[in-house]
Amino acid sequence: MGFSSIEEELRVRRLRKDMERMVEDYFESKGFSLIEPDIFLNYDDFLLSNYNFDSTKTIKVFGGNSKIYVLRPDITLNILGKIFAGWEANNPLKIYYNSKIYSNSPDGSIGQNYQVGVEFLGEEALKADKEIFEIVIHLLENLKTPYVLELASSLYLDSYFADLNLDMKDEKTVKKHIRNKNKHELLSTLNRLGIKGILEVVLDMEGNMEDVINMARKYPTNRDMEKALDYLDSLVDFFKQRNLMNRINLDLSMMPDLDYYDGIVFKGYCQGVAKKIISGGRYDKLTERFGKRVPAVGFMMDMDVATQLIYRGDNQ
Amino acid sequence: MNQLTIALAKGRLADKGLELFKNTDIEIDCDENSRKLVFTDAKEEIRFIFAKPSDIITYVEKGVADLGIVGKDMILEENREVYELMDLGFGKCRFAIAGFENQNINKKNDVLRIATNYPNYVKRVFDAKSQRVEIIKLNGSIELAPVIGLSDLIVDIVETGETLKKNGLVVLEELDSISARLVANKASYRLNFDTIKKIENKLGGN
Repeated sequence: MGFSSIEEELRVRRLRKDMERMVEDYFESKGFSLIEPDIFLNYDDFLLSNYNFDSTKTIKVFGGNSKIYVLRPDITLNILGKIFAGWEANNPLKIYYNSKIYSNSPDGSIGQNYQVGVEFLGEEALKADKEIFEIVIHLLENLKTPYVLELASSLYLDSYFADLNLDMKDEKTVKKHIRNKNKHELLSTLNRLGIKGILEVVLDMEGNMEDVINMARKYPTNRDMEKALDYLDSLVDFFKQRNLMNRINLDLSMMPDLDYYDGIVFKGYCQGVAKKIISGGRYDKLTERFGKRVPAVGFMMDMDVATQLIYRGDNQ
Repeated sequence: MNQLTIALAKGRLADKGLELFKNTDIEIDCDENSRKLVFTDAKEEIRFIFAKPSDIITYVEKGVADLGIVGKDMILEENREVYELMDLGFGKCRFAIAGFENQNINKKNDVLRIATNYPNYVKRVFDAKSQRVEIIKLNGSIELAPVIGLSDLIVDIVETGETLKKNGLVVLEELDSISARLVANKASYRLNFDTIKKIENKLGGN
């Protein structure tokens, strides 16, 4: 955000600080504790769990040991390393952060992005996910702007691709077309590869949660896909009870921005801002890399976008 | 309902784009010779804005336009974060490598000089061929470059090949095919899902 005067900058900073306090108090009232992520991450570790991440966007730094580090492009991975170094995983762990991530901007400068977020580890998946959705919805409602929560399950398509066993280049092309919602080129690629079935219609599997689940049920699925649909089904009542079905948009073709998600994935958008304000999901599999597989879910809220929204509201 | 903004590339694509909306309930009445850049349909549900073709994707990515109609050439060149919802089927042409007849386009130990208006795209194409290139970015009359010795080859969009022929050049290799596409801002797509789906339907999608 650029400022026209120091007064304006101070006003925006104050609004954001108020918001941060509100969010932090809320997280703490829900039993989450503050953690400080490290600023540098080992580059090799980062690439290992994010092979699709555009590495040109990361800010690299040389350590004295000739190793390459990146300025944290993501917070979850960072704090997981910290947690698993000293956690027995006997009891659920609830933590939150209020921090920044760094990336190369298209103009070559270093971009910063303020994020607050939570990680909930070691709790049974459905219970934890419902608690996380409760929090996400509270935050979105608090912004007092119409919003939509985009919901997906990365397990659904990932397990389908695992069964398909495409060569890496073809899989990348197919996924790129799905990610871009480019039906025309997706269909011609599938045709070239001789693939029929779900992928031909996957771009239509979005919209009202119940409609989409019903549509997906009509196609043959493997066990993990079935599991993904059952899981989404078990959330329908939760959203119905809260009268939120018109706020939820299920998209089974959604590809998460980060590779480590392996279950429910979600993004929140607010009317009038062309960026996602909330982004999160389940990442049980990732925890294995730290020595022990535990259920894990988390999300972040983009404080720059949130500030933009409340600043605009404040000016009206 | 929120007003949606559709960005159209000034020129041929805009005329064809507007034609698609004819006979739908979001038809707009706009005077093509007017210098006005913003028009609204009768029900004020849709706003059309007209901009330079190379700026349409920026407008959509930044969200000042919810949807845009733009050539695939710009999408390939810009490589931005937008959804590419529909192939609208008009504005058909293709990218091609062109030069003099029988010219070699693989010079493994040499650097090929290539004039183009699409530097990012050209870099990707020749990286994939493991061919080193020096890219010379021009803004028009690309065909002139080999003729006056500025470059060995050109990469440009070719429709009939007539301009190439007139300058003594031929297509040496055909690359991606191009047509007009409907693109959407990712956040707006989700926030205005039902409306955008309706517009897709009107434009002949499903």
